[in-house]
Amino acid sequence: MARPVKLGWGVRREGRSGIWTRNAVRGVSVRGERRKQDSRIEWRAWDPNRSKVAAALLRTNNDPSDLLPEPGSTCLYLGASYGGTVSFVHDLVCGSNNFHEGQIIAVEIAPRAMRELAALASRRPGLVPVLGDARLPHTVSPFIREKADWLHQDLSIADQAKTFVKMAGAFLKPEGTGLLSLKAASERSSDGDDDTRFAKAERILGKSDLEVVERIDLAGFEEQHVVFHVRQTAESG
Amino acid sequence: MRIHFDWRLARVIDSDGNVIDELVWSGKRSVGALADRLAELQSGRLSPEARVLAERFSEGEADHLGAMSDPDWPEADGDEQALFAEATDRLARRGVADAAGDLDRRLDMLSSAASELRASWTTSEARCVEWAGLFLSEADLDAQRRDIPAAVAEADSIDGAAAALGISSPDHQPSPSEWDALRSHATGVVELTGRLDAAEVATRELARGYVPSLSLLLGPLGAAKLVVLARGRERLARMPSGSLQVLGASGAMAAHRRGAPPPKHSPVLFSLPQVSKSPRWVRGKIARFIAGKCSIAVRVDHFAGEPWDEERIAEINRKVDAIKARFPKPPKRG
Repeated sequence: MARPVKLGWGVRREGRSGIWTRNAVRGVSVRGERRKQDSRIEWRAWDPNRSKVAAALLRTNNDPSDLLPEPGSTCLYLGASYGGTVSFVHDLVCGSNNFHEGQIIAVEIAPRAMRELAALASRRPGLVPVLGDARLPHTVSPFIREKADWLHQDLSIADQAKTFVKMAGAFLKPEGTGLLSLKAASERSSDGDDDTRFAKAERILGKSDLEVVERIDLAGFEEQHVVFHVRQTAESG
Repeated sequence: MRIHFDWRLARVIDSDGNVIDELVWSGKRSVGALADRLAELQSGRLSPEARVLAERFSEGEADHLGAMSDPDWPEADGDEQALFAEATDRLARRGVADAAGDLDRRLDMLSSAASELRASWTTSEARCVEWAGLFLSEADLDAQRRDIPAAVAEADSIDGAAAALGISSPDHQPSPSEWDALRSHATGVVELTGRLDAAEVATRELARGYVPSLSLLLGPLGAAKLVVLARGRERLARMPSGSLQVLGASGAMAAHRRGAPPPKHSPVLFSLPQVSKSPRWVRGKIARFIAGKCSIAVRVDHFAGEPWDEERIAEINRKVDAIKARFPKPPKRG
């Protein structure tokens, strides 16, 4: 077995497609994923087939640790759904009982998903569940303590890139990292095929104040999806 | 001059970044009170403190996003953080519980349950009648159709079922295990009939209250289906009538995008006798006309207009007949 590669605090890669995070809630799996013990630390498997962030870590041509938030940072997750990916981000940003003092604002509009997300948050201090429309800045602003160091948007709506530009403009710190998971099928069918839709999104991002670092194609893990890795410019925000 | 605020305090800040005035939430801080406060902020309103400051400084501009990028903004202390964590949890759970107050979701559950029950009832009932009919060759499968499942369910043998239906005993008997299977199938059909009935009665009742005008025009079950397909009454009310006309015909619309002719109507509109019993060449015209009326009806219902009455519906039906009368013959192919 190859030696694990450290991608950041509490997250490492093993072999070709195994990503593990240091479990903040010992002995509990969030959605039935594998756990394993290594000396005194419990690790939780982050399945790239079920999480676009994990898939992006494996597919990026740059340093994967650039995509991840620092421990103790403030993170904004738009479209948190049932909280699968959110729990892994929580592992590395907050850690057990939030000893890093991080904050993750997880915004989700569906009450059905919020049910599970609220249960997750009560076991994971630092994770703030917010029920509301992730396209509106004022549904998020009362909850976030400062501008975000890291922002991920994963919404199944039309105009994903436009929304991302708006929300990143409002909430992303200068030099902050932004990830946009773009699902081609959610965009309007009149916008053309998948590639035109991705190109259109890239154009919208390019025109904004954000700097597009990389366009990561997730084919193999998640079809018709790309993740845009962007950075907030130093002046704006 | 700007007003920055969060749930704890509000400040007036001048253009040089000096704090001119500050107001801290001084009331009793409880989890419930904070949850109410956060809900108010989330809906885009100012906090009570920010409101007071906005009155005090009429030129102060309130900024929802100000506090989080203010470098001098005070950090929350341990007690405040703990209270905040509890309040956000309470707010999230309250939101989950409030979903049950949303009539769109209730109608979705009812209407979807009714259509799923209808689909399985049709299959099961037909199987039950055909199965029993195989043995009871003298039974009239049309006139006695409704009585057959109950007769089989309540009998203790196929002869008993025949007697209950007033016909002679069959020549061929099912084996005991076969009879058990037939009878429990029939019991299931009887029970399914009751469940279907309950679901449809409740759907009709809810739809008549929620979309009265649309229910009058389409029938309450059809109206409920349209609301569910549009994912909410508001979305249906804001939908162009051209979209409403083909709502539910998603397969045909997908084919249309690939070059096929557009669908003339959705299954919901086709279920109306005004559309399905009309000659083929006017169905599109009538569906378009009725879709327009549906749009108006649901807008009346959603935006609190005066609900339509029977007279209005009769008027619409007269116009449908007029359309039909104007096109008595199929168009000539050119």
